Amino acid sequence: MVVTVAAGLMVSAPLFPGWVRYVVQIALAIGLVSLGVMILLRAGLLSFGQGLYYMVGGYSVGFLSRHAGITDAFAATATGIVASAAFAALLGLFIVRYRSIFFAMLTLAVAMIVYGVALKVSLFGGTDGLNVRPTTWLGYAPRGSQLQLTQFQFTVLLTAVLILAARKLLNSRFGKLIEAIHDNELRLEYLGLSVRRSLLAIYVVAGALGGAGGALAAMAARHVDPSFTYWTTSGEFVFVAILGGTGSVFAPFFASFLLEIIRSFAAAWLPDYWQLLLGVMMLALVLLLPRGLWSLARVVQRTFGRTSAPVLLREDART
Amino acid sequence: MTLALTILVDGISYAAWLFLVSLGLTLVFGVLRLLNVAHGGLYSFGAYSAAFAIGLSLRAGWGTAAQLTVMVLFAAAVGAILSLTIERLVLNRLYHEHETLVLLATYAVFLVLEDLTKLIWGGKSLYANAPRDALGTTQIGALAFPVYDLLLIGVATAAALASGLFLSRTRIGRLVVAVTTDREMSAAMGINVARIMTGIFVAGGLLGALAGALTAPKIAVLPGIGVEMIVLAFAVVVVGGLGSITGAVFAAVIIGLLRAFASHLVPTAEVFVIYAVMTAVLAFRPYGLFSPPVTRKI
Repeated sequence: MVVTVAAGLMVSAPLFPGWVRYVVQIALAIGLVSLGVMILLRAGLLSFGQGLYYMVGGYSVGFLSRHAGITDAFAATATGIVASAAFAALLGLFIVRYRSIFFAMLTLAVAMIVYGVALKVSLFGGTDGLNVRPTTWLGYAPRGSQLQLTQFQFTVLLTAVLILAARKLLNSRFGKLIEAIHDNELRLEYLGLSVRRSLLAIYVVAGALGGAGGALAAMAARHVDPSFTYWTTSGEFVFVAILGGTGSVFAPFFASFLLEIIRSFAAAWLPDYWQLLLGVMMLALVLLLPRGLWSLARVVQRTFGRTSAPVLLREDART
Repeated sequence: MTLALTILVDGISYAAWLFLVSLGLTLVFGVLRLLNVAHGGLYSFGAYSAAFAIGLSLRAGWGTAAQLTVMVLFAAAVGAILSLTIERLVLNRLYHEHETLVLLATYAVFLVLEDLTKLIWGGKSLYANAPRDALGTTQIGALAFPVYDLLLIGVATAAALASGLFLSRTRIGRLVVAVTTDREMSAAMGINVARIMTGIFVAGGLLGALAGALTAPKIAVLPGIGVEMIVLAFAVVVVGGLGSITGAVFAAVIIGLLRAFASHLVPTAEVFVIYAVMTAVLAFRPYGLFSPPVTRKI
């Protein structure tokens, strides 16, 4: 299905107007970061600082373009992913000891410290950020609408590859282990498994996805600034992840598309009150579809007699 | 010497404010185990109501004391009504859901409240500085310090003492502590947990709106003040130990003083000093300064 959709999008891309392609690119980038948040949520961890990796990915592209003159898309995204993963591995050593609200607040705190530093250090361009030069692909340097088209196709391709990889990971033995951590980590420890090492691993995976999203967003917007790691940005990823639900790797993309569509239209029609619209819609979803948008897909699946997808944000007896 | 005094006075003043904005949040967290993002919305509603009430009483030609009384009463009423509505319409249906979902719901309420303030009072900034200007300044050493800010320090101290006494000396307060400690056991002992939860949520919302109202004379009331405040209040609550009022006092004082240090001596660090404190505290006390030990349940 991923392959069909991705191939379809890439082939039909010239038919869409430029702004639609741009919205799709940003939705995919946000979806990738939110996929990382969603994977952490499966283990019961709520990261409120995923914007940090979004920023690391974005600035990898920005720095390569500004200081090294490298504009190659493959090199830039690879650097973004590797840099974010490295950051996540380092920070993860400290942070995976924490759970629930403490994990959320610490991830938030680190992201905000980086934000505070980035604002003051001229290397990051202050509040203005850095501009990113037009992307190239192994020497192929399109211009104008062709550039945007190629970028779109590259974004779709990379996202599809990462979705497939994430799905493989979540369906593997390790993926089941992550869900078990959410259920009861003490029992896992008794079974001789290292909860900490598994959490570190998925924190790195989530960071890498965040870096990929940040790199793609920076290339699409041709710009990166410290607000990538501001807490409202991180909050948006959490929002998208919960809105989609943890039922499937597609759920965050589903939700990020919906969010971007609402944002585009609300910004045009209700520029001053789009938060109100968003808030009311969120409340309606939370109250009517507490398992996330993906539970709609489950209703459809059930109607057609297929087995249901796993659902993780379930009612724990935590009263 | 003057610098040290300035830092001390600024720090205490900031700490008083931090404590006032996080008191309601920490109460709600303690009892409901929920991070109430909507607290930020109640705060801005409180600030806007205060600016509105002061505008009205200025037009009526009332004195400073009357202005402040009207401001506090109006904001408290708005806060109580709003939070009761939120609890009845939204939270009441979600108590059995996963905490991330409840967090999302309060975030949604926060977004709605933010835009509602814009819808009601417009997007321009409002000013409520009349009482603060009328009260003038007083001399502390070589420092001219606004009397209103001194008053706020007094209010924060009184609020800390009153809430401490309420929780330790009154019957309802003891019930609240029981529910905070062990919700299931309290229910088993015949405490009406649902009613305590509703009551505390409303009280928390009222305190949030009051904090906003008391802040209003010091700032320009404009859209976005709730966003700035909510993350700071979270940090105070987490550093103090979730649900602990003593903890919130200590956290507010530590953060307030360090921030004053930073803003006078290392201005570049001012943006993130609160987060640095939070990281440092949690590195050594993983559950905050004043939190009871948590048992792992198998």
